[in-house]
Amino acid sequence: MTNITSWFSDFFKHAVLLLGAFIVIVPFYLMLSFSLKSPAEIQSISGGFLGSQKMMTDNRCIKEGKPRASCTMRPFVYNYTAAFNEAPLLRYLFNGLIVTLSIFVIQVLIALPCAYALAKLKFWGRDVVFGLVIFCLLIPVHAIALPLYIILAKAGLTNTYAALVIPWTISVFGIFLMRQFFKTVPDELIDAARMDGMTEFSIVWKVMLPTAIPALLAFAIFSVVAHWNDYYWPRIVITGDRDLMTPPLGLRMFKSDMDGNEYGPMMAAATIIVAPLVVAFLLAQRKFIEGITLTGFK
Amino acid sequence: MSSSRAHIAFIAPAVILMTAILIVPVFVAALLSFTDYSLGNSSFNWVGWENYQDLLNRSSYRKMFSASLTYMIIVVPFSVLLGLGAALLISSIKFGGELYKTIFFLPVMATLLAMAFAWEFTLDPIVGLANKVLKNGCDINWLYSFLTGSWLGQDPGLSWYGASCDGNMPNWLGNKNYAMGTIAFIGIWQAFGFNMVLYLAGLTGVPREYYSAAAIDGADSAWERFKLVTWPMLGPTHVFVVTITSIRSFQVFDTVEALTRGGPSKSTYVMVYAMFEKGIKQNLLGMGSAITIVFLAFVLILTITQVYFVNKKVHYS
Repeated sequence: MTNITSWFSDFFKHAVLLLGAFIVIVPFYLMLSFSLKSPAEIQSISGGFLGSQKMMTDNRCIKEGKPRASCTMRPFVYNYTAAFNEAPLLRYLFNGLIVTLSIFVIQVLIALPCAYALAKLKFWGRDVVFGLVIFCLLIPVHAIALPLYIILAKAGLTNTYAALVIPWTISVFGIFLMRQFFKTVPDELIDAARMDGMTEFSIVWKVMLPTAIPALLAFAIFSVVAHWNDYYWPRIVITGDRDLMTPPLGLRMFKSDMDGNEYGPMMAAATIIVAPLVVAFLLAQRKFIEGITLTGFK
Repeated sequence: MSSSRAHIAFIAPAVILMTAILIVPVFVAALLSFTDYSLGNSSFNWVGWENYQDLLNRSSYRKMFSASLTYMIIVVPFSVLLGLGAALLISSIKFGGELYKTIFFLPVMATLLAMAFAWEFTLDPIVGLANKVLKNGCDINWLYSFLTGSWLGQDPGLSWYGASCDGNMPNWLGNKNYAMGTIAFIGIWQAFGFNMVLYLAGLTGVPREYYSAAAIDGADSAWERFKLVTWPMLGPTHVFVVTITSIRSFQVFDTVEALTRGGPSKSTYVMVYAMFEKGIKQNLLGMGSAITIVFLAFVLILTITQVYFVNKKVHYS
C-alpha cells in the first residue's frame, strides 16, 4: 500500500469515527447545554452551548414575595438551584447511595462464603447447589417482578428501603464469579491457614476476601452501576413516597411535575444524576469497562 | 479437605434466598397466570388458559408481540454491526483509539432514564436540536438536492426529506410511524458501545500470523482478509454478542415507560412495559403473569440457542 492510500484510508476511518462520536455525544451536549441556559434561550434554540448567561429574574420567586435582588441570578445558577429546591434532589442522591451500597454489601456477605464453599470445600450436594446457581443465572429480573411485588405488598413492605434492596440481596452472578475466582486460589494457602488454627469462617473473611479484591472491585462496579441506573424495580415498589425515591425515579417525577418551561432545571438534575458514574468512569476507564462487560457472562 | 460442617452455614443463606427470591416467584407467576388474581381482592378464580388465549387473540397483545419483535429486529443487527464496525476501525487506527472507545462507551454507563429525557428534548418538535438542524438543511442547496434526489432530476416533493421540508419535520416520538424507530434508535445508541468492547476483546484473540498466512494464500484486499480470517475467528464472540443483545433488547423498558408509554396506538407496546402496565398499573396480576411466563419462555429459548451454538464450537478454524 502506498503512503498516499494509507493516509487516505486513515483519514476516512477517522472521519467515520468522528461522525459516530459526534452523534453519541449529542444528548450529553444537549443535557449540559440546557442545564446552563436560560428558558428563553432554550425555547428559541439560541445562545450556543453556554448561553449568554445574562442575569435573569425568576418570576415564581417574585410571586412568593421575595425581594427582587435575591430572585435575580445567572441562568446556570437558577437551573441548578431550582433542581435542588423544587425536587428533593439531595434526598434522591442519598437514597441512591444507601440503596446501591446496601445491595453491594449484602450481596458480598451472602455470595462470598457460598462461593468459597462451592470452590474449596467438598460436601454432599455441592454439584446440586452449583447447578442451582447456574439455573438461577437464566432467570431475568423481569420474570420475578410481579410475584415479588405481590409478596412485598402483602407484607406491607412496598414504599420501604427494604423493598428496594430485598430482591437484589442474592446475586447468583456474584456467586458464580467469585467461585470461578476462588478456583484459581492455590489450596496450599488455605491449608496453611488451617494449620495455623484458623476457622473456616475466618479463612473466608481474612484469607479469601483479601485475595479476591480485584475481582470484588470489578463486581462492585458492575453492581453499583446497575443499581444506581435501575429504574424498573424502584418504579414498581415505590409508589408516591418521594422520600424513598432513587435518582432515576426522582427524575421521572420531576419530569411529570414539570410545567413546560423547566427544561433547564430538569436537565440540571439529570446532569447531577449522570455525573457521578460518568466522572468515575473517566477516571478509571479500564476498571469500569472490565466491570460492566462482566454482565456479558450473565 | 476439612470435614467440618462449615459449608452448611456458608451455603444456607444463599440457597434460601435463591429459592425464595428467584425460584419460588417463577412458579408463583406460572400459577397466577391461570387465575384472575388482583391485589386487594379476598379471593380469585382459576380461569384456565383464558389469559393465554387472550394473549393470542386480542389485537393489543398481538401489537405487543410485534412491538417487541420489531424493536429486537432493529436493535440487534444495528448495534451488533455498529459495535463490530467501531471495534474494527478503532483497532486499525494509529492514534485516538482510546478516545473513541471512551466516547462510545459513555452511553453504556450513563443513567438511561436521564439520557432518554435528553434525547426527548433533542428530538422535541419545538425546542429540539434535531429538527432545527434538519430544517436548516432545507435551505442549503447542495444538501437539499442531494437528500431529495433532485440532483438526479427527481421531484424533491416526492422524497421523504423534500416532503418534510415543505411541511413539518416529523414528531419523532408522537407519531406512530416514527415512535418505534426513535425508541430503537436510542436503544442502538445505548447498546453498541457495549458490543464494541466485546468485539475489541475478541479481536485481540485473533493471531497475527493468520493474516500473513491469508496474504500468502492470495487474500490481498482488506475485505478478503476480513472475510477469511477476522469474521470466522470472531465466531464465539458473534454468538455471545448476538444473544446478549437479543436478551437485553427484549427487556427494554426505561425508554418506553418514560417517553411513549407504549403509544402512540400501541406502536411501542413492548412486553416488559405491557407486563408492568397490566400487572402493576391495572392490577391485573393474572394477565401480567401470563405475559411474564411467555417473556421468560422467549428469554430461555434465546439462552438455550446460545448454549447450543457455543457447544457446537462456532469456530470454523
